[in-house]
Amino acid sequence: MKKRTFLSISLGLALTACASSIAMAQTTLRIFTGGQQRPDVMRKIADDYEKRTPGVKIEVEVGGATSEQQQQYLNTVLASKDSALDVILIDVIRPAQWAAAQWAEPLDGFLGADKDKIMARYLPAYREANIVGGKVIALPYFADAQFLYYRKDLLEKHGVQPPKTWAELQAGAEKIMKAEGNANLSGFQTAGAPIEGTVCTYLVPMWGAGGSLTNAQGGLNLGSPEARRPFQLWADMKAANVTPPNLAEIPTDRIRQNFQAGNLVFAMNWGYVWQRTQNDADSQIKDKVGVVPLPGFTADKAATCIGGWQLAVSAFSKNKKAAFDFAMYLSSPEVAKAQAIAASHLPVFPEVYSDPDVLKANPWFAQALPVVQTARSRPVSPAYPRVSEVIRTNMNAFLAGSKSADAALADMTRDLGQVIR
Amino acid sequence: MTGPFMTAKLSSLERSERRLGIALLMPAFALLGGVVLYPIAALIRMSFSENKLTEPWMAKPWIGFENYWKALGDHRLWEASWHTALYIIVTVPGAVALGLGLALLANQPFKVKWPVRLGLLLPWALPLVFAGLIFRWFFEYQQGLVNNLLIWIGLSPVNWLTQEGPAFFAICVAIIWKTSSFAALVLLAGLQTIPKSLYEAAEVDGASKWNQFREITLPMLKPAIIVALIFRTITAIQTFDIPKAMTDGGPGNATETLAMYIHKTTIDSLDFGYGSTLAVLMFIVSAILTSIYLRHTRRDPSAGRH
Repeated sequence: MKKRTFLSISLGLALTACASSIAMAQTTLRIFTGGQQRPDVMRKIADDYEKRTPGVKIEVEVGGATSEQQQQYLNTVLASKDSALDVILIDVIRPAQWAAAQWAEPLDGFLGADKDKIMARYLPAYREANIVGGKVIALPYFADAQFLYYRKDLLEKHGVQPPKTWAELQAGAEKIMKAEGNANLSGFQTAGAPIEGTVCTYLVPMWGAGGSLTNAQGGLNLGSPEARRPFQLWADMKAANVTPPNLAEIPTDRIRQNFQAGNLVFAMNWGYVWQRTQNDADSQIKDKVGVVPLPGFTADKAATCIGGWQLAVSAFSKNKKAAFDFAMYLSSPEVAKAQAIAASHLPVFPEVYSDPDVLKANPWFAQALPVVQTARSRPVSPAYPRVSEVIRTNMNAFLAGSKSADAALADMTRDLGQVIR
Repeated sequence: MTGPFMTAKLSSLERSERRLGIALLMPAFALLGGVVLYPIAALIRMSFSENKLTEPWMAKPWIGFENYWKALGDHRLWEASWHTALYIIVTVPGAVALGLGLALLANQPFKVKWPVRLGLLLPWALPLVFAGLIFRWFFEYQQGLVNNLLIWIGLSPVNWLTQEGPAFFAICVAIIWKTSSFAALVLLAGLQTIPKSLYEAAEVDGASKWNQFREITLPMLKPAIIVALIFRTITAIQTFDIPKAMTDGGPGNATETLAMYIHKTTIDSLDFGYGSTLAVLMFIVSAILTSIYLRHTRRDPSAGRH
């Protein structure tokens, strides 16, 4: 009896040793992505990569739904120089901060002599966003911009054209809401909760009015009349009940949920919404959705926030080469096409927009390319988290009605003045 | 080793026992040193330096009291402190009062005791952030239970979480609900030490229930109430999870507490130097309040009555 126990234990040990030596030959890479950036699609792409790259196993770690929730977690992981993550999906606003904090491994060494050739394939905005101080900090995964989603069926029913100006949008929304008489139907929603997306809720109308956060000398430019326009715009919409009274508690994906449930006429949101409205089982509005560029104060002058997600190789990864190879694969036209079809993620390569398969899944991509090409960047700064916090907190307080436009603007000027000089 | 305790009178056996005692205490001291003293020392040191992870090329220069001068003029620190003080003023007595009610209920001679006791324990066992999320759903504008109730009885819905007053109220309700069970547990233990004979004697003398409560229960329970107040105050100074989950400090910074501001400065903005300064200030306030309470309890609570 005793002998047999001994035998089975030693056999077990031998097997374990065997299994672990197999595991040794295998590289396990861990990629971090946000809950809103379609981890399911990432998983499928990773499965393909595992098949074509024997010896590499990919684990997908899913973080919070919003950009700043993800960054909060990543801050703790990376500030402690944790090697658990190899490839990390980061928001387009982060490369400058990541370069400054030395969290992203510069990829120039891996790209080698082909660096310029490889980077030249991307849309210029993404090439520029990912090169900080001459170094390639990350590779673009997918592009993004904010668009105006609208209920095609409701607009047609009530004879409303897709709006080109905010005034047309407000008038159209009021007309439809009045005629429908549905208490649950809201006219327009944009992010109002204290989250990253709310920064764009402020910047988009300011840019549309011809303003800009900083002047030519890089100083703060909040004294201009354009800096007041967003407050006026959202106050008007609130007064007309076009935006719901609880706008200040609405984050990005809640807008998508409200829209998808059929409770919203117009939504200002990112590219991913299209695929969800067309394919989700719970979508009430399949085939009833239209997408156009965001309106402006005048029809010829609209603006939108540039978004999109980048692949950074962690400076603390123990498998940087393998991580880079995987990032290169994820940042290829082939994967861009797969993502465009499976998730309506906007491609970072201009030629993919005219791919027939992509256009079949996303007919609106034909007019999306010029929007992405002209979309504007949020301020680039290593201290961006602070810039973002000041703007979104004040915008949130204003939308909630707890701060007047004057107070919010004054507080923004005071607090941003400490970061942007 | 020499000292007042090491006298020649000690036998060798006593001396070896003493050595063993010290040796047995060492791991606990080492642990305390590692997880309490060292972090506090490191925190204080860091509070005198500039340490921004967003600007690693600036290194970590020693800047003396600069962070502290900055804190004095930091309006947001004062606002956050004021909010924290309000939470303490409202939720500490609130939780102890509700806890007293719950404890009295649980102390009733029910035949089956476990349902009441389980009801007492559950909120206490629930993680704070869960409680915050649950109450956030309760108070949400569109899907929230509270607004559904308001509409049902014919009132108009309230923007609970995006208006200063209602948001503060909603957070206080959540904190009081969550923390009253701990107060109740402490008070229940106190209630059970009160001898039954006191009530029997009062009964014989014809004292009403209310007078029994005022003249017997409350005075006898005073030590337990003070313990509950102390523990509740210490946790209330650190209020973080529930407002974080319910409003994230919003609208604007209207419900932000001291602990949340420290978290935002340190983890979101990666300003470890200034964040440490704020944490040291909070530590000082917390230490002062605790020592006031401790001084108060060191006096025998029954001494005054005799």
